[in-house]
Amino acid sequence: MGDKPIWEQIGSSFVQHYYQLFDTDRTQLGAIYIDASCLTWEGQQFQGKAAIVEKLSSLPFTKIAHSITAQDHQPTPDSCILSMVVGQLKADDDQILGFQQTFLLKNYSSAWVCTNEVFRLALHNL
Amino acid sequence: MAEKPVWEQIGSGFVQHYYQQFDTDRVKLADLYTDASCLTWEGEGFQGKNAIMTKLSSLPFRSIQHIITAQDHQPTPDSCVMSMVMGQLKADEDQVMGFQQVFLLKNIDNKWICTNDMFRLALHNFGA
Repeated sequence: MGDKPIWEQIGSSFVQHYYQLFDTDRTQLGAIYIDASCLTWEGQQFQGKAAIVEKLSSLPFTKIAHSITAQDHQPTPDSCILSMVVGQLKADDDQILGFQQTFLLKNYSSAWVCTNEVFRLALHNL
Repeated sequence: MAEKPVWEQIGSGFVQHYYQQFDTDRVKLADLYTDASCLTWEGEGFQGKNAIMTKLSSLPFRSIQHIITAQDHQPTPDSCVMSMVMGQLKADEDQVMGFQQVFLLKNIDNKWICTNDMFRLALHNFGA
């Protein structure tokens, strides 16, 4: 019974931390981004920590709960970690929606930060 | 009318090529991977071009068709391109299913290759 590979430990910890923070107080997510970070949220681009936190903080719901269906993590040739998450979310009293999110994590000064993030709701489904 | 950023051209060019190849003759996808590439297919890991191609070639359908609902591309700090695709697929006479896929592309010797590839069917969804 081996330990999980290191990239899977880092990736899954990040994912757990991200959604926990998102669901309780997403204004605190600032710490995981840097000025070089990019977010694409439902097709719209945001560059840098400030713009990203502003977008996330201004999302129009009071409460939000994410539930992760599946997550995959891989190491990249440049020593980053690529993570893909498939899940469902419920905002306020809206219906449950599927979502897909991808993170690229990089180690800067001994901290793993998110340099790239893409989020989309799974809205095409029949 | 501004041109698309270069990473978006590279990403969307790759995505179009990938699914076209996948749907017509997926053994030709080999050119897109190297020995350093990783694929995670429905949670199972495959390392290197050979293992990846064995997996993709052995998928149990005769005909497959992908339709892309949405795609997003970003440049990464290490000069790679990260692409996320959301779409639907139909294998043989099976029902249409949603899927999600992520690619990390890197320029090696003037060619954009896929170093990381992750695929999952969107199987948790309730009906609308």
